[in-house]
Amino acid sequence: MRKFGMKRAIVGAAIAALAMNASAAHAATATGTATAKILRQITLTNTSDLQYATIISGATASTVAVTTAGARTCGAGLTCTGTTTAANFNVAGTDGAVVLVGGDANVTLNGSLGGTMASTLTYSAANITLGATGGSFQVGGTLSVGANQTAGDYTGTFNVTANYQ
Amino acid sequence: MPRLFKGFGLFFALAFGGAALPVQAAGDLLVAPTRVVLDGSRGTEVVLNNIGAEPATYRISLEIKRMTAVGGLDEIAEENVSPAERTALDMIAFSPRRVTLPPNQPQVIRVGVRIPEGTPPGEYRAHMLFRAVPDAAAAVPSDSSKPAGGGVSIALTPIYGITIPVIVRVGDLGAEAVIGDAWVAETPDGPAFNFDLTRSGNRSVYGDIEVTRPGAPEPLLIARGIAVYPEVAARQVSLRVPPELAAKLKGPVHIRYSEDREIGGGTIDEADRVVK
Repeated sequence: MRKFGMKRAIVGAAIAALAMNASAAHAATATGTATAKILRQITLTNTSDLQYATIISGATASTVAVTTAGARTCGAGLTCTGTTTAANFNVAGTDGAVVLVGGDANVTLNGSLGGTMASTLTYSAANITLGATGGSFQVGGTLSVGANQTAGDYTGTFNVTANYQ
Repeated sequence: MPRLFKGFGLFFALAFGGAALPVQAAGDLLVAPTRVVLDGSRGTEVVLNNIGAEPATYRISLEIKRMTAVGGLDEIAEENVSPAERTALDMIAFSPRRVTLPPNQPQVIRVGVRIPEGTPPGEYRAHMLFRAVPDAAAAVPSDSSKPAGGGVSIALTPIYGITIPVIVRVGDLGAEAVIGDAWVAETPDGPAFNFDLTRSGNRSVYGDIEVTRPGAPEPLLIARGIAVYPEVAARQVSLRVPPELAAKLKGPVHIRYSEDREIGGGTIDEADRVVK
């Protein structure tokens, strides 16, 4: 059976180390036993957003797709401008650790002048194995644009999680 | 006045000296440890750190996830949880549940467990979710090159977080795992090394996978932190690998599934397989 006993003081020391950016320890001349527990950690950082850029809708409904590599496919009847990007997330942790990643498959966007649009979301992987420098995953999607979609700024939020098993 | 500036100079040096990191979005986070196992009344602590460049408010919550046959974790809505999962949610206490942190400021989350009398032996599990609460003003489109006439601009804001399992073991539990077939397959995202893991007993198994070629000292593949949870008797493990490694993995290999290094790293199962 796994023991997970951790003394508060030890965790405190780990926090202190984190807070100080784990810089050079303040050396002190004293005898005694130093104990420190290095906790395994995971970090998640968002380095780019899923950008569909600017779209001018046409007379018929169509779609704009952004791959997990950030490449755009502009559907028939639409005019697409600007630079598209896929969302990118960096994950760092124990070398070799397998992290499950995922999130919402759909998101609804609301327009500033009324109207809604729907986007499906695609993830570059269901799990990633971290290397010495961590790992990353990307989120792309396909946006459904209605015929003569109301102009405006459309905003929406979607959930993404990195999960340890 | 010069004194004041001097003071400010020192302040800025202190405030930004340690923050020479690339600019990151608000909500970036660190969580440690990555797994919590509690076997009695004693609790533990989990550290959350804001590693972003801006202050952020984080919410901490518990959710139920169930493992799938292909090794994913499905989120289960609160109204659909089973009685045992409900018990898990009820027995795990934690605090605080919401915290605002300046950049590079860690916060301890205390995790306690209270096992009600008469709780049947077994493994109870919930997943602790750490997630930044989005700013109210976050959803402003960054694209200002919008054409004057009738354009549509889009701003999608991710709300992202980390989950770690919190496992409570009640009673004397045991489990075993057996490695099944292994094969390399193409997926839409590239080749993957796959194998089956079957589990028996009344708790989860957890550990590291090491794939070696007989006679070669260096392992071909190491994958740490592979679990089989009690709600599944078997799962597939699918690990994406670079194409050159996929080619190398084909043929005779030795697969070892060992317990976490923190608890000794004993072998759970090992097997010789010929990877197709």
